[in-house]
Amino acid sequence: MKVTFPYMGTIAVYKKVFEMLGHEVIVPPRPSQRTIDLGVKHSPEFVCFPFKVIIGSYIEAVELGADTVITSGGNGPCRAGYYGEIHRRILKSIGYDADVIIFDSMFKDFKDFYRKIIKIKASTSIASALNILKINYHMICKMDELEKRTKILRAYEKIPGEVSRVWKQINESFDKSYTEVEIKRVAKECSEMLESVSQRLFTDQDRIRIGIVGEIYVTMEPSINMDVEERLGNMGIEVENSQYISNWVQHNARPKWAGKSYAQKLMDKGAAFIAKGLGGHEQENIGCMVDYAERGFDGIIHLMPFGCLPELVTQSTIPLISKKYDIPILTLSIDEQTGRSNSLTRMEAFVDLVKNRKKRKQYSNTLLMSDSKTTPISMKTS
Amino acid sequence: MRIGFPRALVFFYFYPLWKTFFNELGIEVVLSNQSSVSLLHQGVRSAIPEICVPIKMFTGHVWNLLEQDVDYIFIPRLMNVEKDASFCPKFLGLPEMIRYTIPEVEGRILCPDIQASNEKMDRVSDYKSFRDILGVDMKMIRKALRKASEVWDRFREFCYKGYTVTEASALALGELTESQVDICQDCDIKIGLLGYVYNIYDPLIGMDIVQKMRKRGVYVKTFEMVHDRIIEKKIQSVKKPLFWTFTNKLWGAADHFYQDHDIDGLIHVTAFGCGPDSLLGKIIELDSDEFCKPLMTIRVDEHTGESHLETRIEAFIDMIRRKKNKERGVGA
Repeated sequence: MKVTFPYMGTIAVYKKVFEMLGHEVIVPPRPSQRTIDLGVKHSPEFVCFPFKVIIGSYIEAVELGADTVITSGGNGPCRAGYYGEIHRRILKSIGYDADVIIFDSMFKDFKDFYRKIIKIKASTSIASALNILKINYHMICKMDELEKRTKILRAYEKIPGEVSRVWKQINESFDKSYTEVEIKRVAKECSEMLESVSQRLFTDQDRIRIGIVGEIYVTMEPSINMDVEERLGNMGIEVENSQYISNWVQHNARPKWAGKSYAQKLMDKGAAFIAKGLGGHEQENIGCMVDYAERGFDGIIHLMPFGCLPELVTQSTIPLISKKYDIPILTLSIDEQTGRSNSLTRMEAFVDLVKNRKKRKQYSNTLLMSDSKTTPISMKTS
Repeated sequence: MRIGFPRALVFFYFYPLWKTFFNELGIEVVLSNQSSVSLLHQGVRSAIPEICVPIKMFTGHVWNLLEQDVDYIFIPRLMNVEKDASFCPKFLGLPEMIRYTIPEVEGRILCPDIQASNEKMDRVSDYKSFRDILGVDMKMIRKALRKASEVWDRFREFCYKGYTVTEASALALGELTESQVDICQDCDIKIGLLGYVYNIYDPLIGMDIVQKMRKRGVYVKTFEMVHDRIIEKKIQSVKKPLFWTFTNKLWGAADHFYQDHDIDGLIHVTAFGCGPDSLLGKIIELDSDEFCKPLMTIRVDEHTGESHLETRIEAFIDMIRRKKNKERGVGA
């Protein structure tokens, strides 16, 4: 089987899983304008943006020779759970002969699930298949940890672009390691690589931290969210993202006795605003916004695909959260019509606002601390 | 006690059920005004800009009820009315969305979580909160639900006969008699009209599309006129149905229309940015090629002009009539 998969975030791990199971893996090219154009051409007009990008990258992968697409399903009511079914019909209708294997919850139709597992694991034994999953889980945890660090480090790099270069190297070295021992070694090396990046000096007061929340695909995939994180980093801002594959795995595959996952804790916070889950990441995102605010972040950027059903509900809570926790929040909705410069201008303006706000806060704090009658004048003259 | 019903969203479908239910509990039901441009604008001003027009319309209706003297506004959280499907996420988050976009509504929402297994919504425990808020006991609720379900059955029977939702609910509630309604049964053209009740029957969003088609000599058939059994059969035959109750109903109805030789074509009315319809639209579009039956999609939002709608349905009807005449050998 020549296997391909949806392109999202750190793809090294999907590639490795299928490779270790003995399949030939066709990695879809990083989503480009061509991917988006292809996707838009063959998708329903009002479907969410990730759908369009994913079908575009399937087409590109099939053109490169892939014959099997492996993806996950879902139970709704978010549309993402139904992507695979429509993707399959679209691929067929435009004459591409690729098998689309969709993994739905095993509790709904275990037989079907089992059949698909057997098909994918091919000649590997169950024990070694489980071992492969374990190794890859281990790897993604390490990679996510490192990625989190790059997002902070990028704000203070001395040589522009160095962190991104190191991150690329990190990806390459993980790509070459296949055992747990190797992964451990590589993780240590990579960690040292990050430490050796030369940083400019900064004080705690200069630190500006922005949290990113939103729909999983647009927050995780830099090629379609205009490299939000990198751009913010280049402006000297620390970034934290709420979505990681390791979080997703932990949340979805965690046994009950292991206690609440981090995502579950966030969801509990979000439940104060939205009582019932809507099938997306709305409760988690709201919880995350609250969490960012409580941890003293300076601003939040909320990303969503245009017309995303669950995130629209999240968006409606934002004015309240922003007011209640006194934190600026910017929503950007992204699709193929998004004007890059428009969004970037808005982001820059937002960053200016956040910076000024912080300065003003520090200024008024110094006022409070010193004698309130004389200080304003002395501040003015200084 | 007076309870306000926003005349929007699934109100059009569940009105006979809900009205009977509340009346039986001894509560007066107050309706918001008919949809109007000013009402919609009020909704557009407070709702999220990106959201679909039916939700904006609903927001406008809630504003309208706030101006009227009502004790509570009925905004149920519709989660399930069948086992394996739910509602669009916007319905699941509707009470919250309204609360956050219209702060004035706080404390005046009557919001039971509906998790029923059928459309009669007769799961008594869903209405537990009514005991404190409305001062009724469970026995009364049970009795009212029974009465409501009788009216519901009557309402559905009228639907199956070919009456639209608005006509059928008036008939079921005894506000109309059958002789007063002409459903154009003998017309030469029959068209399946697909769309959610809040798009088709809202006078501003749907612009009275049913009457417009009837006036042009078309017998209109909508999803609620197709028997539930037919729709269920179709949905059960699909390996993985869609997640949303009403979208599945439309799918089942569309499939029925495609296979029914009496139906000459299909029109799909959908709101700009409708999530479930974006998937359904593609499915029925692909099916349309398979069954070789014409399908037209009309997309509506707060900017849609009436003449646009008229021109398009006129052209569609003309096309079908010409095709039919040609087949009959009458000549165009």
